[in-house]
Amino acid sequence: MNPAPVPPALAVAVIVGGLGLGAWVFVLLDRAATDLVSGRRPSVRPLAPLRRAAFLLVQQRAETERPDRAVWMLAPALYVAFAAVGAAVVPWSARLAPADVPVGIVLWGGVEALAIVAVFLHGWSANAPVALVGAYRFVALGLCFMLVSMFVLIAAALPAESLRLSAIVASQRGLWNVVRQPLGLPLFLFVGLGLTFRGPLDFADSADLAGGVAAEVSGPSLLVWETGRAAMAVAFSAMAAAVFLGGWLGPWLPGPVWLGLKTLFVMALMAGLGRSTARLRTESAVTLVWVGLLPLSFLGLAVVGLEVLR
Amino acid sequence: MTGADLAFWTLAAIAVITGWRVFRTDSMVRATFFLLTSFVAVGAILLLLAASYLGFALIFMMAVEMTVMALFMVMYMMNPAGLNPMNMIHQPGTAVAAGVGVGAVLAAVALWVPFPHSAAAVPPSDPIAALGHELLGGSMLVFESAGVTLLAAMIGSVVLSSRAGRYGAADEGSLPPGLEPGGEPAGRRPAPADGGHTHMHMGDGTGGHMDMAMDRGGGDGSGDHDHGGHAAPGEGPA
Repeated sequence: MNPAPVPPALAVAVIVGGLGLGAWVFVLLDRAATDLVSGRRPSVRPLAPLRRAAFLLVQQRAETERPDRAVWMLAPALYVAFAAVGAAVVPWSARLAPADVPVGIVLWGGVEALAIVAVFLHGWSANAPVALVGAYRFVALGLCFMLVSMFVLIAAALPAESLRLSAIVASQRGLWNVVRQPLGLPLFLFVGLGLTFRGPLDFADSADLAGGVAAEVSGPSLLVWETGRAAMAVAFSAMAAAVFLGGWLGPWLPGPVWLGLKTLFVMALMAGLGRSTARLRTESAVTLVWVGLLPLSFLGLAVVGLEVLR
Repeated sequence: MTGADLAFWTLAAIAVITGWRVFRTDSMVRATFFLLTSFVAVGAILLLLAASYLGFALIFMMAVEMTVMALFMVMYMMNPAGLNPMNMIHQPGTAVAAGVGVGAVLAAVALWVPFPHSAAAVPPSDPIAALGHELLGGSMLVFESAGVTLLAAMIGSVVLSSRAGRYGAADEGSLPPGLEPGGEPAGRRPAPADGGHTHMHMGDGTGGHMDMAMDRGGGDGSGDHDHGGHAAPGEGPA
């Protein structure tokens, strides 16, 4: 069952290359979704993200009064790093798994929790009111939707009888989890929208707060932050593809291609949902998660448990 | 010295130094996340010991817990950003005594408990499964009792701490004192649900005074005013 270990150099290349390419594609998808929602013909300008990156690299760095400078510089980098750690546990095929740790699902939970910490610290460390409001708003929501994520992922691990990602993919050989556990993917997508702050859960660096946690950030730090946002969306999509859409499983094409296609599908779904749904009020979002979604995830877990016992 | 040794000593140094910084920093948020860094380093040491589930679970749980702690501590403080310097040390004598005592007990356990020396006694083939069987098998009673006890303690502490309000016990109607002896309670009270009327408040003291006088004269007692806001110098309630 356990795939042979991948050479470290290849693993790093796969993770960095996959995330970098994915982030670039995701920015294009997001742009296209924005065009579609605002009634324009979707334009694909492949060079636009690179041009913006180059601009941010040479842009002057903004300053606030007495920020926590070390944390302010580190937090966006940590967010990117957690995206990379999360992406590392996703297996590309039965043999190509960059870091197929035996408790991949738990590691992903840790990535979600630490990413929330990074976003909070990013907003907190600027020592500026709008950024702080964004940070608190996000962290209050983050604590709610993370519970949903845990129960949904445990439900996916139950039929596989393993916390290892490759075992969870292999357990979907007969039937993908998206069909077997119909509650799983929609709930997990909601978590993903929260984790990358888009659509209904666009609470961290949204326009209604003039940029929120990123309001005071400019220059290279903003480049790292925006890269992190896109990279986290890619890592999340790859995780969703592996846990619910059967990962590398599929006819005719090789496994990594299938995983790439499925990840692309979830990325498009995230970009579309992110741009086409309105932001909830913070209070309604908290109520929705605790009263609506969390019991639903319990229900899903109970049903899966009964199925496994049968 | 192997790579694992190097990793262990580096992580141990990070854990100890950030743990020490918890008590030397002057901000609650910084203290909380120094503590988180310390725990993450300990979690990584557990990973070095091939306890992958315990290591990742420790990192995961501590990340959530420290977030909750930062959120709630800062929420209850008057310094919401936690960036302004404040004293983080209270009752240093008691804390030092307790810390040294607990440290001595843990060190004694580490020194005198017989650890297995032979490799034969060590690895169950699947540590995660072994842990699961232990938690839901032999040790289930211990863990379940601990869980229920903790839950009862949490509910109890919330009940006990929420009764004593700033202005008296909550179940006896905790209200702030009046602005003058025997006066109406100060502060803003929520508007009544059944269509309490609203007044136009003028910005100056006279307007507020008139408004308040009308309120008394009308005797409607709906009380949806911020009386505290009208307490300009030289102006008392009618």
